[in-house]
Amino acid sequence: MNAPALDVKKAWVSREITHDLQLFRAQFSPDGTHIAAGGVDKLVHVWQLVDDKTEKKITLNAHRTWVSSLAFHPRAKQLFTADYQGVIHCWNHTAPGKPVWTIPNADADNVRALAITPDGKYLISAGDDTVIKVWNAANGKPVTKLEGHTECIFSLAVSNDGKHLVSGDLLGSIRQWSIGPWKPVRELDAKILHTRLENFIADVGGVRSLAFSPDGKTLAAGGMKDAKSNAFCPGTPVVLLFDWASGKAKTELRIKGKSDGPINALRFLDPTTLAGHTEILHSGSELTFWKTNQPNPLHFLPNGSAYDLSLHPDGRRLLAATYVSGGASGNGAQKRHRENYPPNKTALKFISLFEKPAEEKK
Amino acid sequence: MNTKPHNHACGSADHGVSRRAMLGTLGGAVGFGSLLQPAIAEAIKKQEKRVCLIWLDGGISQYESWHPLSDSKYAGPFRSIKTSIPGVHFSELVPETAKIAHKISIIRSMETKDPNHSSGVPRIQRGDPIDRGVTYPYLGSAVAKLLGPANPELPPYIWIKPGNGGFLAKEGGFLGAQYGTLALGDGKAPIHIHRPEGVSAEVDAARNALRQKANERFGAYRGASEIDAYETSYDMARQLMARKDIFDDSKLDPKDAERYGTHPLGRHILRARQLLEAGVRFIKVNSYHWDTHGDNFNMSQRLIPQVDRPFAALVNDLEDRGMLDNTLVIVMSEFGRTPLVNSRLGRDHWPDCWSLALAGCGIKRGAVVGETTKDGAWVNGEGYDIGHLFHTIFTLLGINSRKERYRYKGQKLAIAHDDCEPIKEVMQ
Repeated sequence: MNAPALDVKKAWVSREITHDLQLFRAQFSPDGTHIAAGGVDKLVHVWQLVDDKTEKKITLNAHRTWVSSLAFHPRAKQLFTADYQGVIHCWNHTAPGKPVWTIPNADADNVRALAITPDGKYLISAGDDTVIKVWNAANGKPVTKLEGHTECIFSLAVSNDGKHLVSGDLLGSIRQWSIGPWKPVRELDAKILHTRLENFIADVGGVRSLAFSPDGKTLAAGGMKDAKSNAFCPGTPVVLLFDWASGKAKTELRIKGKSDGPINALRFLDPTTLAGHTEILHSGSELTFWKTNQPNPLHFLPNGSAYDLSLHPDGRRLLAATYVSGGASGNGAQKRHRENYPPNKTALKFISLFEKPAEEKK
Repeated sequence: MNTKPHNHACGSADHGVSRRAMLGTLGGAVGFGSLLQPAIAEAIKKQEKRVCLIWLDGGISQYESWHPLSDSKYAGPFRSIKTSIPGVHFSELVPETAKIAHKISIIRSMETKDPNHSSGVPRIQRGDPIDRGVTYPYLGSAVAKLLGPANPELPPYIWIKPGNGGFLAKEGGFLGAQYGTLALGDGKAPIHIHRPEGVSAEVDAARNALRQKANERFGAYRGASEIDAYETSYDMARQLMARKDIFDDSKLDPKDAERYGTHPLGRHILRARQLLEAGVRFIKVNSYHWDTHGDNFNMSQRLIPQVDRPFAALVNDLEDRGMLDNTLVIVMSEFGRTPLVNSRLGRDHWPDCWSLALAGCGIKRGAVVGETTKDGAWVNGEGYDIGHLFHTIFTLLGINSRKERYRYKGQKLAIAHDDCEPIKEVMQ
């Protein structure tokens, strides 16, 4: 059966998997048979998608703090997960068990981003200590280190041809590195994604997300600009589109609805269609779709705040790790909640990017 | 510890005057501490009780500082680290304070009432006494009133804050403008501290005399508060003019800047140390932007070390100088932050169960006080309200907080909440 035509204006939530605590990362496996997610409960949750409505879940337990990032191997049955205390685990995600191998000190602190080369040879990590590390994806042995950033690194992306790595940091510096040989190539300017006003006591923002277009002609960098304080950290969500050949920012994409946080996740749906998700305090946010030649959105789908997006290998479904309020968030005093202080939760939303079939409309 | 009740009756003659007289008698000279025999002056300075309130405006997260609870479902992602007290852990974001945990006390069961900044900050800094229809003074003004200046050459209450400075009368509440605070913007001396070169000392004195005369005439037909505020601020500026040396950073050991940090809070706490050494009675050091509703964990990672290093450095320095036993250091906010993490990965306001740190002046060394539920969300048993903390502070300063009363328009007013008591678990 042919895949339905991509039509983001008809996007709809076709499935939800809920979890009773907050999950910040969620990805489809490259074969689309599993999803993996991680967050505040220190566990790695893997659901096998048995059919369109049922799933089987296993839980992988080894992290000792929040799971900060995850990435699937493109072919092997391997899942890489990282945490806020510098640990990376490699798992066979199809069965319960212990990690296949572990890197105990991948970063001095938080491993904020993982990426894997399309050939599956190299796992790349980056985070608080500003040094990008390249690991042998088969055994976790170190391959090389890439130094140049001066502040924590939030995001990584590898081009589809496997030749280029980009990394984005708190100060809005995007650095390009060649893959094999591993060398610095150039720096792209995304400084508008960083704010430090005179009365701030911390830097705010950063390059929170990066994505290459499938044809390799465009690099998208997500975050927010014009932060107004380092407390609430409210700002204006934006995506910068870079012409990859010249390295120049060519377009600044905006969102349409309300949002005050950074764009945490970006995914190209085709060479000229981009999806991004942002967050907002105590309110609804949105999944936004853009054509890369126009700054205003093509369409948006109201949603809760979300922190990660993954594209199913069929190219027609996105997975969004979405915040769901438990009903007790907000300022205390909250003694009424003492006996029942419900946690905030997660909905792993499958967003179908085509017109809802007639049978689903009934 | 000095537990003897302080004998300054409130509403008595201005303590500044009596203090001057006392200093004059003790030192064999009249008027100014600088004329005292240096050793005696130094001894008196060290005996005078002082306070440094480090105020993290907006609310520091207890989970990311003094009460990490790594096994709690509400814990953040940071490591819990061992402290110098066996079995007690702090967040990895306060490594320097962890090293001096045996010198300080932590209260983990603060349970206050107000979840908002606008009402919570004044409520907390005024001690939230029973409402008797008056505007109570902030803590610094209260201490300035109850104890007077520790060094008559210097204002009793100085506030070091980012941004602009100036004289802020309103902190004095019903005590009046003369108990307001002199704010030093960015910790710097008031901009008019230097007498212009073209004005001789004689001319300056004549101008002051004229100014005072004009004030007296103006004040004779008007309420005293505005004149008080003006006079007090002028006197304070004149006092500081004589102590420009305090603001001469070239005299500082360059290592101090490194130990305290070059960020505003580090510089300001270092300035507080200089002012404490000089004999200022009460110093409040403010840092703003701690209200981490958004991006709490990235912000905590960057903010909390900014108080960790200088707080630990201050406690160590006061101890090294023999001043810690008479100087109370308080690190606190108007509340803590929620156990739940919100949609912006922030924590909201949480007065229900939060933590603060205390050191010096009769505070127990190495005490961790307060029972909470295992997840740290709620206080188990009775929590401590701000009234308990005010009673504790006053008692440590030698003021009988149960008996001492303000007198205002014929009323006798409690200096701290009638229904609260000192927190004995943190007192030596």
